Amino acid sequence: MAESRGRPGSASQRPTGGDKAVLTQKKQYFRRKKVCRFCVEKIDDINYKDVKMLNAFIAERGKIVPRRISGVCGPCQRRLSDAIKKARNIALLPFAAVI
Amino acid sequence: MRIYEELFIIKPDATEEEIDQIVEQMTGVVTAAGGTIDKTEKWGKRRLAYRVDKHREGYYVLLQFTCGPETVKELERRLRVTDAVIKFLTVRIDETLKRLEKRKKHREKRAHRKATAAPAPAQPSVAAQMLGTPEEPK
Repeated sequence: MAESRGRPGSASQRPTGGDKAVLTQKKQYFRRKKVCRFCVEKIDDINYKDVKMLNAFIAERGKIVPRRISGVCGPCQRRLSDAIKKARNIALLPFAAVI
Repeated sequence: MRIYEELFIIKPDATEEEIDQIVEQMTGVVTAAGGTIDKTEKWGKRRLAYRVDKHREGYYVLLQFTCGPETVKELERRLRVTDAVIKFLTVRIDETLKRLEKRKKHREKRAHRKATAAPAPAQPSVAAQMLGTPEEPK
């Protein structure tokens, strides 16, 4: 049964391990490994004042993009979410954007 | 003494003089308590991400200063009673700065080590090649 559900949608419905789930399953399609942007570009300071950078990590509705989608590593995501929350507090970013 | 950052929003309809007066007043609070102002930045008028007290715009001012924790309490109280200030955010940044400094040093150290270590393994490998090549004809 598990092999029959080889659609790309099934992997994203899994709660954990985006990349691993695909690899351990039958290798049917290739997915590029996501990397943490902050680690790769060596950005140590995730600052709440840098709205342009933070904007890349909030969804259309103003929500924080989850790690499994953006590929940001654990420590960076923690700092990123803190920065986004600070920016929201001072009206640099929306709590809930109206589309 | 700790390093803080204060970002606050003044009503968009305030005049330049009023803004200057508020900034001066806040810097006065810090200096009077024995702190020092490190940086004052006026971002100017910006669109707010959401409505605050029916305002869609606001004048952002950023202060960076060094002072004790009691001074911050006083400064926040002052901001709260000032009618023209619609929002403010205080962030303690000395620990973050320390962390960044440490990280930067670590990066440099690693880069330095990489630069010095890179030629070192290359030499044995060349030696190994030189040792290896005479053996091949045999």
